[in-house]
Amino acid sequence: MASTSTAAGSSKPSTPVNVKLLLIGNSSVGKSSLLLRFSDEQWLPEDESSATIGVDFRVHKMDVKGKKVKLSIWDTAGQERFRTITSSYYRGAQGIILVYDVSNRETFDALPRWFSELETYVSDAVVKIIVGNKVDKEFSRQVSFTEGQQFATRMNCLFIEASAKTAVGVRDAFQEVVTKILDTPELWQPVTQKPKSSSSSAGGQNQTMPGSVNLHDEGGAEEAGGGCMC
Amino acid sequence: MPSELPYAADAEESLSYDELQVLRRQYEKEVAQSHVTVQTTFNFAWGLVKSPVKDDQVEGVKLLGELYRNEPARRRECLYYLALGHYKLGNYEQARRFNDLLLGKEPTNLQAQSLASLIERKVTQEGYIGMAIAGGAAALGTILLAAIIRRAHK
Repeated sequence: MASTSTAAGSSKPSTPVNVKLLLIGNSSVGKSSLLLRFSDEQWLPEDESSATIGVDFRVHKMDVKGKKVKLSIWDTAGQERFRTITSSYYRGAQGIILVYDVSNRETFDALPRWFSELETYVSDAVVKIIVGNKVDKEFSRQVSFTEGQQFATRMNCLFIEASAKTAVGVRDAFQEVVTKILDTPELWQPVTQKPKSSSSSAGGQNQTMPGSVNLHDEGGAEEAGGGCMC
Repeated sequence: MPSELPYAADAEESLSYDELQVLRRQYEKEVAQSHVTVQTTFNFAWGLVKSPVKDDQVEGVKLLGELYRNEPARRRECLYYLALGHYKLGNYEQARRFNDLLLGKEPTNLQAQSLASLIERKVTQEGYIGMAIAGGAAALGTILLAAIIRRAHK
C-alpha cells in the first residue's frame, strides 16, 4: 500500500517514490477522463463513458525533479450514493485533486463541501489542487479562470484549468501536485497520519454530504475487542 | 498493488475492522427499527465484499443479490460488486455472468472490462493448476500401479 511505503527518504535513485493521489469532485466533471487522458492518453466521448462505480484505480510512473515516482491514483465516484464508501479511500493520500467543470457552475459551487470532507479525513499538509476541467467548452463557460483561481488562493491550494478532451493542462495538473508533494517533507515522515475525527474539525459547522456516514467517527469502544482481520 | 492492467481497486483492499463495524452497526440498527434503507444495505454489502473473510464475502454477495432484485436503480453497481464478490470467492462462472450483464449494458465500461480480464486470468490459471494436479495424480497413479504390479510379480 502506498501509504506505508514512504520511500522518499531513501537515497537510491532507482527506488521509486510512492505517491497516493485521490480524485474527487461532483459527478460528470471528468475525473475519470482526466485520469484516462493522463495515464493512457485516451479520451472517451460522453456517450461511451460510464459513471465510476465506487472507485477506480490506476498506477502510473513518472519522473519528477529527477526522481522516479510511482503514482497510485484513486479515482472516486462522484455520485452521491457512493459518498460513504469513497470516504474510506482518503486514508494515506498525499495529494488530492479536486475537479469541477468550468461549464457547470453547480460543480464549482460544490467545492466548499468537498473541502469540508477533506478537513474531516486528511491532514492539512496534504497537497491539494483544484482543476477546472472542460475548458474545451469555452463557449458555454460558467466559471471564469479568475474566479477559480481566487477561490483556490483562498483555500490555499494549487489551481489549473484543463481539458481531458484536448489534453490541455492535464499533465501539468498531475506534475504540479507531485512536485509540491516532493517539496513537502512532512508528507514523507514515517509517522502514520491519523485522520482527524470529525468532531474536532470544521469548528462544529461540519457540513458533511447528505447520505454519508463518517467511517472514522467511532469512539474507542470497539478498539479493545477488535483485532485486525488482515 | 498491481502495477499494470488489469486491476480492480476494491478487490485489493479491505476496510479496517472498525470501519466495517460502523457499516454493520448502522445496518443492524436499521434492521432493529424494521426500516432498512437501500443506501445502508449497499454500504454494508460493499464493506462485506471487500472483506478478506470468506463468510463476510458470502454475506455481502447475498445482500447484493437481494438489492439487485429489488432495486432496479441500483443494478449497475450491484452487478459490478456481485461480480467482484464472486471473483473473490473463486466462483468465476458466476463472476463472469454478472460482469457480462454489466458489459452488455455498458460495453465501454473500463472497470467491467478490467474485471473481465482478471476473471479470465484466474480461470486460465486455475485451468493450468487443474491440469497440473490431474497430471500429478496421473503420474502418482502410474507409480503406485507400477509398485503394485512389481510387488505382485515378486
